[in-house]
Amino acid sequence: MNDISPTLTATSLTKIIGKKTIVDSVSFELQRGEIFGFLGPNGAGKTTTIRMLVGLIRPTAGHVTICGFDQRREFEQAMRCVGCIVENPDLYRFMTGRENLEHFARMLGVAMSEIPRVAELVSLSHRLEQRVGTYSLGMRQRLGIAQALLGDPKLLILDEPANGLDPAGIREIRELLRRLAEERGMSIFISSHLLAEIELTCDRVAIIHKGRILREGSVRELISSRREMELRVDDVGRAETIVRERNLSFRTDTDRIWVAIEEPDAPPLIAALVQSGVNVFHAQRRTQSLEDMFLEATGGESVD
Amino acid sequence: MIIPLIQNETLKILRRKRFAVVAAILFAIIALVTYSQYRRLNELRNQNWRAEIQQRVAAMQNTLRRGRVNETWARSMRAEINRLQFYLDHDIEPNKPTAPIFVRTFANVAGFLLLPLLIGILGSDIVSAENAEGTDKLLLTRPVRRWKVLTAKLITLWTFATLTLMSGAALAYTVSAPFLPRGGWAAPTFTGFSVAKGSIQIDAVRQLPLWKDTLIAYGLEWFALLTVACIALLLSVLFKSSAAAIGTMLASLIGGTILTRISPDWTAGKYLFVSALPLADYYTGEPPPYDGMSMLFCIGLLGAWAIVATTISYIIFTRRDVFG
Repeated sequence: MNDISPTLTATSLTKIIGKKTIVDSVSFELQRGEIFGFLGPNGAGKTTTIRMLVGLIRPTAGHVTICGFDQRREFEQAMRCVGCIVENPDLYRFMTGRENLEHFARMLGVAMSEIPRVAELVSLSHRLEQRVGTYSLGMRQRLGIAQALLGDPKLLILDEPANGLDPAGIREIRELLRRLAEERGMSIFISSHLLAEIELTCDRVAIIHKGRILREGSVRELISSRREMELRVDDVGRAETIVRERNLSFRTDTDRIWVAIEEPDAPPLIAALVQSGVNVFHAQRRTQSLEDMFLEATGGESVD
Repeated sequence: MIIPLIQNETLKILRRKRFAVVAAILFAIIALVTYSQYRRLNELRNQNWRAEIQQRVAAMQNTLRRGRVNETWARSMRAEINRLQFYLDHDIEPNKPTAPIFVRTFANVAGFLLLPLLIGILGSDIVSAENAEGTDKLLLTRPVRRWKVLTAKLITLWTFATLTLMSGAALAYTVSAPFLPRGGWAAPTFTGFSVAKGSIQIDAVRQLPLWKDTLIAYGLEWFALLTVACIALLLSVLFKSSAAAIGTMLASLIGGTILTRISPDWTAGKYLFVSALPLADYYTGEPPPYDGMSMLFCIGLLGAWAIVATTISYIIFTRRDVFG
């Protein structure tokens, strides 16, 4: 694989069960070293898409290419490049952490000496000899990630990796993922409903709703595409007229007006408002959060 | 490449303590039977075995004369009468319990229900438990083709079926040896009593040393258990819950046995795998429940069941979508 070709390509993935279209022609690409966020409410088709990526579900149409290998025809080569957690980090509860890692190392043909290294990465070395049944959800999450890191995959697919972790744990895992992406050029696919988490961790994000991708782009791009300034004024009516004269888009509230405006154009607008007798109490730039964008894109249906 | 997978499956069965349960059940049952045999041995010391056997033969002949038994039972009784008569004619005491005879009898007694049931316990959750616990999502997203995963499971199951049979035999000997006479592996046995058109075919009777006879009986039983393992695998693939898989196995074993006993007229019943399962019994001389069930037919039937069950398992397992 050369460095320019994408690590993961999903081409118009579709899953139809009976007459219901669960996933509708979903396409995206993951470049080397990129962290990609997959965002959507429950039942949006997130998990079905992930299951198609890793070969648990056969797509009705479309295909998946991993590291240049066709995931169906060259399953073994393709999956050798992937570490994943699908839905919950379900491991064998009746075996110890170490036995679980040994189990999956055997399937990969990876040396047992890898185990202390991956356990160290997720800070789980001290609990390896205990049965997984005694682990908390957060520890199972860590063990799941350790398992996914066995064999040095080029692509990591994690379903809700923040689940069950406390804030410190979330931060630790986020830093680990960023490090893996930056230092080793690992591509990471994360699905989540925690918008703030995606915003902090990911480079690029796709929003999926009712089986279709509504938006896709870099996190920065999606956020900065909707910059606006919030103004608190005493006379919203008159302010509106002035904004309209300048052909700017806006929305209003009882005492506030939000104007889509670039930074250099802000002072003249404020001056114009003041000149025409509108009192401006407060002016602030506001970047639209992923959450606003999500609500807008899905038409107000809540996440989760 | 398949060896590490077999190692994994073996570890899972051991860690789930399934084999420990099987060994414990075997031990408990064998200990109980040994105790009853031991008591019988003490009673026999004061008895005339010839008189006892003549009595049993007479009782069975009376029942037959009254004609109230159905054809299956009647055939079975006629065969038994012939066998006992043979022992009387040759002055051989057939029922004296010894440890080797106990081992030999175990193949017949445990073969048609107990051992298949234990294999059912071992096998029914080999796939369904991964389903129920959600571990299939990891198992099937590793760079190993699904058919290889299933093959490792089948081989592991066969290995444990073999181990179960061997531990049954070993336990039967070691538990009974302190209480019953230990020797007698070379004692003569008589097999091949068969009933053709109501009369006995004495010429078909073969005399074998007990150890050889035991090996043959266990060999047949082993083949039957491998078939049961294939069917358990299929149930495990079909059902998501282990309980449903084990339940179905139990129901088909018991249901099939009852069916062959109460409706011998329904001849299609001879194609059920349960009809052919007591291979060791048929070898000893117990007539199969339906006409036209030769030893070769039974072995072929079991083989066919095994192949069909395994094929369906592979088709379903390698193609199905794995949902949550």
